[in-house]
Amino acid sequence: MATATEAVTLPAGQAAADRWRPTTAGWVARIGVLLGIFAAVLWVTAAVKPFWADRIALAVIYAIIGLSLNIVLGYVGQVSLGHHGFVGIAAFVAAYYVTEKAGCTPEGGCNMGAFLTGMVLAAASGAIAAGLLGVVALRIKGLYLALITLAYGFVAETSIFEISFLTRGGSGMPAARPNTFDSDTQFAFLTFVFLALVLYLDWRLVRSKVGRAILSLKHSEPVAASYGINVTAFKVIAFIMSGLFAGIGGGLYAFRSESVVSNDFQFAIALLWVLMVVIGGLGNRTGVVIGSAFFALFPFLVESIPGAEHFFADTLGRSASYLPLVIGPALAILTLIQFPGGIAEQISPITRWIRGEKFSMHPEGHGGHGEGHGDKKHGGLMAKLGLHKNEEEATEASTEEIKQDTEPVLAAQPEEPQGSAGHDDPKENR
Amino acid sequence: MTAVLEVKNTGIRFGGLVALEAVDVTVPEWEIVGLIGPNGAGKTTLFNCIMGAYTPNTGEIIYRDRDISLLPTHRRTALGIGRTFQNIGLVRGLTVIENFMVAQHSRIGYGSLSAILGSPRSFAEERRLRANAMEVLDFIGLPHLANSKLDGLPYGTLKLIEVGTVLATDPDLLLLDEPSSGMGPDEAHQFGERLLELRKTLNLTVLMIEHHVPLVVGVCDYVYVLNFGKLLTEGRPDAVRTHPEVIAAYLGGSVEDESGEAEPGSEETLDVTA
Repeated sequence: MATATEAVTLPAGQAAADRWRPTTAGWVARIGVLLGIFAAVLWVTAAVKPFWADRIALAVIYAIIGLSLNIVLGYVGQVSLGHHGFVGIAAFVAAYYVTEKAGCTPEGGCNMGAFLTGMVLAAASGAIAAGLLGVVALRIKGLYLALITLAYGFVAETSIFEISFLTRGGSGMPAARPNTFDSDTQFAFLTFVFLALVLYLDWRLVRSKVGRAILSLKHSEPVAASYGINVTAFKVIAFIMSGLFAGIGGGLYAFRSESVVSNDFQFAIALLWVLMVVIGGLGNRTGVVIGSAFFALFPFLVESIPGAEHFFADTLGRSASYLPLVIGPALAILTLIQFPGGIAEQISPITRWIRGEKFSMHPEGHGGHGEGHGDKKHGGLMAKLGLHKNEEEATEASTEEIKQDTEPVLAAQPEEPQGSAGHDDPKENR
Repeated sequence: MTAVLEVKNTGIRFGGLVALEAVDVTVPEWEIVGLIGPNGAGKTTLFNCIMGAYTPNTGEIIYRDRDISLLPTHRRTALGIGRTFQNIGLVRGLTVIENFMVAQHSRIGYGSLSAILGSPRSFAEERRLRANAMEVLDFIGLPHLANSKLDGLPYGTLKLIEVGTVLATDPDLLLLDEPSSGMGPDEAHQFGERLLELRKTLNLTVLMIEHHVPLVVGVCDYVYVLNFGKLLTEGRPDAVRTHPEVIAAYLGGSVEDESGEAEPGSEETLDVTA
């Protein structure tokens, strides 16, 4: 064997394949924590006052939009500054359909069928709009593509969003909620269903050949092509998926506000969406959801501080809704310089523990294979490339990791026997 | 003996620069054919033409009696042409085993839509892909690196992984771009033996750009020499090695300095070990 001396010197199967796995109790604990988090979020949504449930719905919609942008930013590696275009088009399409075609009224509400049809149309229109941009992106990259997307957004703002039969001028197009989900709390739960759908699609996207193909394109198109990947098709697929998610987000946005006005979709919001994805952690689903929810809820949380509303309204003359665009850039700079993995990097010890690895504060406990290589890329690169969700990520248990293991219960128990390939004997920890 | 690959009268120019001119190369079934020449001679450009990264201005590329000149790269891969790159053609963001899974892309038995919807078949296929990838990793002797990141792996190991991923695309014809670069003489020798073994077990035909003369002489059945985009000579390795024009081209004897000509699309490192 050429060059791979370690392969020759190591007994077969030893160094590699045996990975640390949690015990049954460990899995129960992990699943318990995960369910606890879900339950807490749902409980809070159910328990808070309706206007807070409405804000939570906004956070969920932001999370969906964040996941949409994440495909372009995190997986494809291009910047989209025109996402308000896709979201806005989808919102207007949904509102137009339920009001003008399905006959829903703010008083009479909407039936579920009309709502779902409106959502499908919204998703489809978002996908088409983004697919067109994807075709452009075949030829243009980087800064120039960012400029094209910027122009795209402005064109949507000044043309489509001004069409009066679609937007009813300044008064906005009504979009009545379905009768069964009319209250703010009910609607918030409905948005959770859509978020779950988007998360599922995103998970399958990344963990299948589609995601691998898209991530390969980001690295090198010639290499991807020589692996047999249809470069053209997968780039367009990536943009279509992004537009699909944006469309779902847009549709929900319409029903949440119950009346879509074009003022809602301006460049500032597209910029905020980009910032929240970067701060959440490019390519990382969990990070993006948390980052997006943070930016959606942040101004409301600040306003709820006693006296803050008065301070913002009277002393500063600005509402707190401007705050994200002030702290967003600051956090983005901090993220880019100091923590390229964003929020995802900060919480990675927790997320990796939940996925069944040892608890370790090491941001990058991966990739070590015992052989001398000095310079590992400093943390966050993996998060940036969206590979955190890979359960098969190596958990090379280096000695310092074991020392730092803060889960004595889990660590003390012997390993579960498991059928991983080439698993010979439990690792010797000295 | 039939030809697997025929490059006929291929020429390509970039603006005023003639990168290749009327190049004819024939790679017969089951042979290892070498492609040598000084830096900037157009070797990698020829590979790019064969793979479809560049579209030649003249001539045609025939693969198993079929004109593939107009096919996009991924179709050529699906037909059975595998290619390695000079500066390691692996996907950095993915783990080793994921690279092997990407490499099987053209033989994946589920569509993009069923992948995104998560059909049972896509899950089963993913397991099969992973098993296949593990098999290739075992074959090249690196099963313990399956879940490693590429960053930090030694160069020679990466080269080996790259050859492995190309094998995972299930090629009939292997295009190797300087496989022994970065290897010492012993490693290069071992690589040569490995290649001969591979050819036997996998029934491969190989076209190989290589600077390492002992390797070329050791494994190649036939050698083409390119210089300034044109074929200088061709023949059995021993004959080519002693050919006066080849020596002149490499050592810059009668030919003027070739450093002015850069090969488009690649940064070749000068490592002529002749």
